[in-house]
Amino acid sequence: MDRRAFLKSAATAGALAAAGGLATPAISQRAAARTLRFVPQADLANFDPIWGTQYVVRNASAMVWDTLYGVDENLQPRRQMVEAEEVSTDGLTWTFRLRPGLKFHDGEPVLAKDVVASLNRWSARDSLGLMIKALQDDLLAVDDRTFRWVLKRPFSKMLLALGKNSTPACFIMPARIAATDPFKQITEYVGSGPMRFVRSEWVPGSKAVFEKFADYTPRQEPHSWLAGGKQMLVDRIEWIVMPDQATASAALQNGEIDWWENPIADLVPVLKKNRNIMVDIADPLGNIGCFRMNHLYPPFNDVRARRAVLMAMSQEDYMRALVGDDPALWKPLPGFFTPGTPLYTEEGGEILKGPRDLDAAKKLLAQSGYAGQPVTCVIAQDQPITKPQGDITADLLKRLGMNVDFVATDWGTVGARRAVKAPPGQGGWQMFHTWFAGGDCINPAAPWLRASGDKAWFGWPDVPEVEAQVSAWFEAKTLDEEKAAIRKLNKAALESVVYAPTGFFLQYQAWRRNVGGIVKGPLPFFWRVSKSA
Amino acid sequence: MLTYIIRRILATMPVMAVVALFVFSLLYIAPGDPAAVIAGDQATPADVERIRQSLGLDRPFLVRFGEWVWQILHADLGTSIFTNLPVAAMIAQRIEPTLSLMAVTLVFSVSIAVPIGVVAAWKADSILDRAIMAFAVLGFSVPVFVIGYVLAYVFALKLDWLPVQGYTPLSEGLWPWLKNLIMPAVALGCIYVALIARITRAAMLEVLQQDYIRTARAKGMGQTTILFIHALKNAAVPIATVIGIGIAHLIGGAVVTETVFAIPGVGRLTVDAILRRDYPVIQGIVLLFSFLYVFINLLVDLLYTVLDPRIRY
Repeated sequence: MDRRAFLKSAATAGALAAAGGLATPAISQRAAARTLRFVPQADLANFDPIWGTQYVVRNASAMVWDTLYGVDENLQPRRQMVEAEEVSTDGLTWTFRLRPGLKFHDGEPVLAKDVVASLNRWSARDSLGLMIKALQDDLLAVDDRTFRWVLKRPFSKMLLALGKNSTPACFIMPARIAATDPFKQITEYVGSGPMRFVRSEWVPGSKAVFEKFADYTPRQEPHSWLAGGKQMLVDRIEWIVMPDQATASAALQNGEIDWWENPIADLVPVLKKNRNIMVDIADPLGNIGCFRMNHLYPPFNDVRARRAVLMAMSQEDYMRALVGDDPALWKPLPGFFTPGTPLYTEEGGEILKGPRDLDAAKKLLAQSGYAGQPVTCVIAQDQPITKPQGDITADLLKRLGMNVDFVATDWGTVGARRAVKAPPGQGGWQMFHTWFAGGDCINPAAPWLRASGDKAWFGWPDVPEVEAQVSAWFEAKTLDEEKAAIRKLNKAALESVVYAPTGFFLQYQAWRRNVGGIVKGPLPFFWRVSKSA
Repeated sequence: MLTYIIRRILATMPVMAVVALFVFSLLYIAPGDPAAVIAGDQATPADVERIRQSLGLDRPFLVRFGEWVWQILHADLGTSIFTNLPVAAMIAQRIEPTLSLMAVTLVFSVSIAVPIGVVAAWKADSILDRAIMAFAVLGFSVPVFVIGYVLAYVFALKLDWLPVQGYTPLSEGLWPWLKNLIMPAVALGCIYVALIARITRAAMLEVLQQDYIRTARAKGMGQTTILFIHALKNAAVPIATVIGIGIAHLIGGAVVTETVFAIPGVGRLTVDAILRRDYPVIQGIVLLFSFLYVFINLLVDLLYTVLDPRIRY
């Protein structure tokens, strides 16, 4: 073959290949309308909602695995897989009956033994589950549709535990899968939810695909968050991972994606200008920013040093650094519970209100015995929520006259370092920043506010009064009793500074105008979401 | 020649062994804990420890390293801590987009850079030469992501000619494949166009002053023939060297480009794995890229003998 013949052949091959590309059947408009392309907050790197408790795993799992109960928009647990429940008069025996016709994605019926196995796995990892397990006398399948949980003492938060949306949520799996060690990852992704996971199309870091499960029978009630009828109006949902915010913004404007879970505030003005795009608050329960101080070592082992920081800090500074100047996106938070929810209180919150008194804070810090030793402040620079908080804190501590050892690192390192109990100079720390979903702060069930010393969350606060009020909330039988306990808890936790809340903030979501049915909630709910061509 | 190739391939073995030991040691001493990332915020320290044990991260360095080496010797790169998928399968899922991006970038860079480098040398010290060199400086100076955003704004958002993000496999057609790669390749290729153009110009300037070029001109040979047949061939060794080095650097550039254009390639897999401390994936990728680097260097060395028959191994 000479040069000309080669070039001719190559050109012909190229033209044929190109023609092949053009001849590839284009996805029809109708089919495109049945596929929803969604950009999640993060990559779905694993898919076991009990083993990995990241929110993104929970959000995807809510499509694939159903729950016994589901929390509705009034934060009340409603029946989902359960048809009826009965609790004995002494509050010790809970009997649940599953609704008929529930099926797993492999065609097998959902049986009580599957539920029992799932509860066993979940209760080994979840904080509320662990509490129930500690009270458990027996958990058994009575028949195919009935299971019974027998306790040694009444547990009034049973339905909340089974229906909550905080991670790990109580998802029901087939018994053979739920038999997996809760500290090891499952290898089959079979649920009974309205969508099934298409494992063959899963490319971690890039794409996850879910298809409508034809045999799913939704409840008849109107849908409300995790409760009610989970009716799917699209056949296929593609999660497309986009680590770059500007790219996601351009893709949404260009119509390459339909729904973006969490655009950063900086890009929202651009999106709002586009008449094909809708922008609204994603989750009315928002998020709570915070930093935690290490109660084990100086200077923060002295409550006066912790209170000095609280007296000097301006939540407005933190919130503006986080979400900018949009006043709709943040509010100060003189407490630990999510604003707008039944248990919200500002009891004892005066220390975070009003003009900041730097001089008084300096005096209090001096009284604590602080003498200029370095304060190791560990800041994850790769998280848009922790970095600005860390910058504000570093400035605050310097203005207080503290010697800041600013450790700029990544979230993976913070996750490991915060667990180190050694002194700060030996790999430990004195301060780190994080945030909590507001949905997880509607009550004290999460571990963050616990103050049980060695067993408490990172920072290891030891405040008996806080623990007593958390227990009082668990024991409370009425909303008024719960509120009374929470008021005392908020006050005690602020007085002892279990941790420092930096404020309450909201985030936006954005979607194409041809997508309907998107609601605000603590996670993206895909049921009743439709898309027109 | 064959002996040389065999000797070079054998020489890669200790290099790969050193790389393996270095990477493993580096990850072992690096801060961070995948168990803490997996466990999430609700987990207690005891939970984190249980996960660490189940992943085998609590075992001594030598045990873990020995196990990993044993796996490698059995052509097994291990299993991802996070996805529970085999590392080889994860890399296989991601290698086509990265190789495609590198190939298109290389074709774009060489096809632009070599001609303009030749022209710049031919018209040395002219306005055209200065314009080309100014472009080269610009190509060096502007970060890949800036070029990427500008291209996306113009060609995707304003003109709607090309998609903003994603990747379509070659099996779905040449044009669908290419249209996803044009902007990333141009963004990534700018720096290589600049680099190769400068080297081409420098190499050509030297060659164009040789006696045989003057002789060719005296014999009335056409300028194009002189430049592209006689001069370029003799200037090709440094150009081939810089292209070879460029390919290695493309691997690094692909990380940013794949992020900006949401291309599911090995570059993004690397970043994700590092952020999560997914040790088996990081180790597998570094090993693969080390091999690729060594292999490309070998190819360039062999290419020298083709470009310059005086070179013999």
